[in-house]
Amino acid sequence: MLEVEKLGKTFKLPRRAKTGSKTGGVDPRQEERSFHALREVSFKVEAGEILGLLGPNGAGKTTLLRTLSTAIAPTRGTARFDGVDIREDPRRVRQRIGFLSGSTGLYGRLSPREMVSYYGRLHGVPAAELPARIEVLFAELEMQSYADKRNDDLSTGMKQKVSIARTLVHDPDIIILDEPTSGLDVHAAAGILAMIEGLRTTKKTVLFSTHHMHEVERLCDRVVLIDVGTKVFEGDVAEMREAGGDQALDRAFLGLLGKGQGATLRKGAA
Amino acid sequence: MKGFSALGIVARKEFVEMIRDRKTLFFMIVLPVVIIPLLGNVVIDFTMDAAKEEATKTLEYAVFDDVGEPEVEAALERAPAFEKVELGSRDAIKEAIAADEIDFALVLPEVDRTSEPLTVELHFDNASQTSSVSKRVHGALAGYGEQLREAKLAEVGATTAQARKLLLEPMAVVERGTATAREVAGEVAGGMLPYIFIMFALLGALYPAIDLGAGEKERGTLETLLLAPIRRRDIVLGKFLVIFGAGVVSATLVVITITVWIMAKMESVGGGAGELLSTIGPLDMLLAWVVVLPITAVFAAILLSISIYAKSFKEAQSYSAPLQILAILPAMAPMLPGVELGWGTAMIPVTNVSLAIKEIIKGTIDPMMLVAIVASSSVIAGVLLGLCTWWFSREEVLFRQ
Repeated sequence: MLEVEKLGKTFKLPRRAKTGSKTGGVDPRQEERSFHALREVSFKVEAGEILGLLGPNGAGKTTLLRTLSTAIAPTRGTARFDGVDIREDPRRVRQRIGFLSGSTGLYGRLSPREMVSYYGRLHGVPAAELPARIEVLFAELEMQSYADKRNDDLSTGMKQKVSIARTLVHDPDIIILDEPTSGLDVHAAAGILAMIEGLRTTKKTVLFSTHHMHEVERLCDRVVLIDVGTKVFEGDVAEMREAGGDQALDRAFLGLLGKGQGATLRKGAA
Repeated sequence: MKGFSALGIVARKEFVEMIRDRKTLFFMIVLPVVIIPLLGNVVIDFTMDAAKEEATKTLEYAVFDDVGEPEVEAALERAPAFEKVELGSRDAIKEAIAADEIDFALVLPEVDRTSEPLTVELHFDNASQTSSVSKRVHGALAGYGEQLREAKLAEVGATTAQARKLLLEPMAVVERGTATAREVAGEVAGGMLPYIFIMFALLGALYPAIDLGAGEKERGTLETLLLAPIRRRDIVLGKFLVIFGAGVVSATLVVITITVWIMAKMESVGGGAGELLSTIGPLDMLLAWVVVLPITAVFAAILLSISIYAKSFKEAQSYSAPLQILAILPAMAPMLPGVELGWGTAMIPVTNVSLAIKEIIKGTIDPMMLVAIVASSSVIAGVLLGLCTWWFSREEVLFRQ
């Protein structure tokens, strides 16, 4: 289970930083040389649940996921993975999570087997168990035919499967996915979605951000929508439709965004 | 997971990736093993060929004799590989030399022979570094000059060799050099060798450092690596060890290559050059290698810090360019006149290593100073590695926008 409690993240801006947002409007998150990327975001994800993290570009989704994954430290608040606090014991948290992003790369001069094995060892998978674990993963993901080729020689879809295997090699309890289908063709994206669906059956806790509403409809038990670093909605897909005032999820999404601070910002830019 | 084990896992993976990279292998192995001896051979062969050609090529000349001294011209005609050409006027000498129509001209201006010596003006291109004109003309005319001197000495009654010597050299300054042949050789070779060692230590570490830091960011693998449940210090140390190792391999290979090359060349290069090379022994090279180790660690720590800060491979290359200049200039110190190893210069990083290698080759290194240089360079490397680890823990460095 993941519990996020009043999580906040502020970045110090360099002296040369211009005021205002990338889109040209006045960004409410910026105060002099501070940028409040996240403000008191709280939510829970139960074991076996898939939570969709939604929001427009620059809303703070990646900052939230990076903070939860312990890549960066929170400025305020905290989060707990099955009771383990990200502030108090980040290394123990890292042992329990698997992180996959659309922009995650591979070591081009290693083979899928070498790369997955590397991450397995880094995550403390016992050496005696690792080869068997890799074989099972490669069989599930149908990767055996290219397991020993160099990553540089693989197609985009194959590479994404290597990333999935890398994410799951240590059998994490919590999976964090940051726009995992970004830039993938339909075939490769379908593979990722199938993998996420499969995780539900194994009682894993899944948190994933996406811009694709069909993925939300297909996979998510619940949804958290953030805009300008603040949570603007939390509920299931049906509740999102109701709150957004439209049965079509993309229009409901826009409807919810139209009520928040971000709407003013975007209007300013327009 | 225990720190040492995590460090080993990171280092092993980085090593495997590094040795599969052709560019790294080129800088680390091919350059020191193949290019350096090849370059050395080319330079030596070219220099020897050029000197040989200059010594044997036919020199074309013109003569303008106002005093009527045909023996001067006759002396040149007797000497091998001189050919006279006609030149309209002495005003055309400069232009003719510039246009390569003649190599030199002799002008014998009118003088009062009772009170002044016979003057032979040699006009030639003295800007040419490889020109042997002056040497060869002096050689060709030396015999006739000797004849004239003998005649004059006879006129004043100096008939015996003893009398002639006393008349010509009433005072003789005899040089008695205190330096050994090795010291003389070290002064020449000791300027260049440290520069080569230090440059290769830097070059060997440069490419892996960029790949292991900025390359990791550019590929998008850094974030996942940071999420591994290991200490960031172990990641930095693992990467540092591989970069340091690459620099050491490169420096080692260049030391071995130059040692082998020197031993091989001693056989084929005779004369002063062969004697000079023979004074540098394998033990000197081994000691020079030991001195290069800590400075390689300094380079590895700085390069890794730069690479971690850079957002891309290209940016890391741009940032590391000034470091190359900062390493090259102090490494060249032994080539500068008057720059010697003392407690003052021993405190200047890179320069101290460079000067120490020169003293090792000369055989005049002070052991205390050597220990001080190795120790201070090691301390600097340790401090820089500590800074690099701290650098690697900063979000604004790792996720710089």
